[in-house]
Amino acid sequence: MKASKLLAALTALLLVLAACTTGGEDTTTTTAAGGTETTEGGEEPTTTAAGGEETTTTAAETEEPAGESLLETVRARGSLLCGVNDVLPGFGVVNEDGTYSGFDVDLCRAVAAGVLGDSEAVEYVPLVADARFTALQSGEIDVLIRNTTWTSTRDGQEGATFLFTTFYDGQGMMVPASTGFTTLEELADANICVLSGTTTELNLTAVFGARGIAFNPQVFPDNEQLRPAYEAGQCEAWTSDASQLGAWKATIEGEGGEEQLIMEEIFSKEPLGPAVRDGDSAWAQAVEWSIMATVQAWEFGLDSTNVGSYAGDDPNILNFVGADGFDPGLGLDPEFAITIIESVGNYQEMYERNLGPIALVIEGSLNDLWTNGGLMYVPPYR
Amino acid sequence: MTSPPPPASRVPPWRNIRFLRILGQVLAVVLAFLVLRWLAGNLTGNLDRLNMGLDFGFLSRPTQFQIPYRPSFDPRSPVTSMVLVGVLNTFLAGFFGILIALALGLVVGVSRLSANWLVAKLATVYVEFFRNIPPLVIIIFFAAALFTYGPFPNLREAILVGLPGSDSKLLILSNDQWGIPGFTGGRNWVAFAVILGVGFVLAVVVWAWRTSVNDRTGKPHHRLAWFLGVLTGIAIIGYLALGGPFSMSWPAQSENRRLIVGGFAMNWGFMSLTAALGLYTASHVGEIVRGSILAVPRGQNEASSALALSGFQRYRFVVLPQALRIAIPPIINQCLNLVKNTSLGTAVAYAEITALTQTSIGNGRPALQSIVVMMVVYLAFSLTISLLLNVVNRRLQLVTR
Repeated sequence: MKASKLLAALTALLLVLAACTTGGEDTTTTTAAGGTETTEGGEEPTTTAAGGEETTTTAAETEEPAGESLLETVRARGSLLCGVNDVLPGFGVVNEDGTYSGFDVDLCRAVAAGVLGDSEAVEYVPLVADARFTALQSGEIDVLIRNTTWTSTRDGQEGATFLFTTFYDGQGMMVPASTGFTTLEELADANICVLSGTTTELNLTAVFGARGIAFNPQVFPDNEQLRPAYEAGQCEAWTSDASQLGAWKATIEGEGGEEQLIMEEIFSKEPLGPAVRDGDSAWAQAVEWSIMATVQAWEFGLDSTNVGSYAGDDPNILNFVGADGFDPGLGLDPEFAITIIESVGNYQEMYERNLGPIALVIEGSLNDLWTNGGLMYVPPYR
Repeated sequence: MTSPPPPASRVPPWRNIRFLRILGQVLAVVLAFLVLRWLAGNLTGNLDRLNMGLDFGFLSRPTQFQIPYRPSFDPRSPVTSMVLVGVLNTFLAGFFGILIALALGLVVGVSRLSANWLVAKLATVYVEFFRNIPPLVIIIFFAAALFTYGPFPNLREAILVGLPGSDSKLLILSNDQWGIPGFTGGRNWVAFAVILGVGFVLAVVVWAWRTSVNDRTGKPHHRLAWFLGVLTGIAIIGYLALGGPFSMSWPAQSENRRLIVGGFAMNWGFMSLTAALGLYTASHVGEIVRGSILAVPRGQNEASSALALSGFQRYRFVVLPQALRIAIPPIINQCLNLVKNTSLGTAVAYAEITALTQTSIGNGRPALQSIVVMMVVYLAFSLTISLLLNVVNRRLQLVTR
């Protein structure tokens, strides 16, 4: 009948119009009447393959491919979304009054101070290990500072870009001191507590597999469930980054638990550092130089008490504190270093404030300054 | 009689109901298509911006992590093997959970209607307690109460319940694993399994035969006795003919007392998950059973009393057959819920498919594709269960004229 033919033609026309006017997606277009797919409306000059117009208006924090960086977005928003840990003593914990504190938390504040000028303009997003990279990929957070190890897979497949390593760590094993175990071989067939979604799991499998030792992992989503199982003896050993184990050893013994022993053997490299999304150099560099400023200040002997009142004439330090308005073009305020150091302190102050209470000492460790034999070496600010 | 309808005149399209309805549907389809296209474009654009792909190649690459309580799993095997292990673990938890839920649910449902005041009240307390607490809380409670903070010692100092009159142990109890007796397949156990399968089919045929004999001649069918007789007979003949294809194996501790060798070993995550979900779902099933019993017309009860049937006979022959017919579709629903609730096993370190998927995503596998695989697994489970139970449902439906 005439009405139905008319409707069929109308449907076909509408579908063709819909297919054609929504930009140049190449992978998912199907046109009902087989019309030709022309890229109308002009393609944005992006470096990525298929960035149509819709992709940029959806997620709140995705950058416009026409060149606006996350730096501008964060400045416009006025606060930094920082992915952190909320259950790791020393690195990221929630206090009783709801505020966050920890080494990684202080690094978030340093970034906020550098980029926004206000170290308190941070919204902390607590994340479990499994969800770290999906949160970063989806734009839920601007930067991930959550004791995260830099690996090739994370740089590649996970779409992250790792920045300056803020803490050089390694994986260790902790057992109750009463067991007397000192080597990994003594843990054959044992239950070993490990967190899900961490490099720890892969390292454990790799190391034990290489030595031909069988073991049984007990995989927990977070430390709140892991710790009771360990203390109840459901696992005989707990493996994690040595700094985390130090934190937990101090916590368990401090709360009156059994004495713990961390084995001497460190069996992996764990460079912990902040991570941002791929493809945004301006933002990555702004974050990285804000963090490196804390180490540079330490090297110069500047801390929160004297950074604002430097009166000498070392040109390197003068550049660093922005004394003559020196601006290397990173998009940061010339006096960003003063803002950061005054509100958060330099690297040594942050370290000793947060990690001193859990028995981590900076002198003699890998995290000491390069001039003292450690690995903290930042590029010159000039 | 009414007057003949007015001649059909040409109604303009904007007042033509049929046209407007069809137009509305067309617009809805186009709108849905646009939304899907916009979402897909968003996804591919974002993935391209991050240089991440949408392919499933990760399935053939090595897993690289060890799976809990599966010492035979090689971390170098591909991700598909890991998925299969996850499917197996989910199946085990779901299967035993459903068994517990159905058996216990039936008992609880009938008990709540009991004339015995204490039994009825206990059943009510059970249902109201378990039904109103979220399943995750129940799972964590079981794990904490029985295992983490419970009365059992570590595996190295486990409680060994001995078998009287021999060195073997009957049970090994610890806060990590329990060992119970099991079977080990000797030679020819595959042949025995085949014989058992054939025997089962034969027994079902005998069942149907006895039922038809009963229908035709009215003689008592004793079909259950025939069924079990045929099955047991064939099993015994097969066992003797194959020279003992399996034997009892008793659980024992390994040399370093960290493993249970022999028997079946059940780990604490599996036990807490299955027990908790079984009890939780049983409270729902109990309510369904109770409702369906109450839905059987009152006259049936009165008629059975008039025929001098005892209480048990009334339930067994009159009420329950009718009630269970009504109960099956909601029970299918509860079974599906139980299988989906096994995903809460992540909280008790049980390596079912959700836990393994989360671990692999956290270790660099692509998130979207891994979750698609996980969804396919759950979809397969749910469709299989509902298919099987719907077959039962259709067979039991009352055929009305």
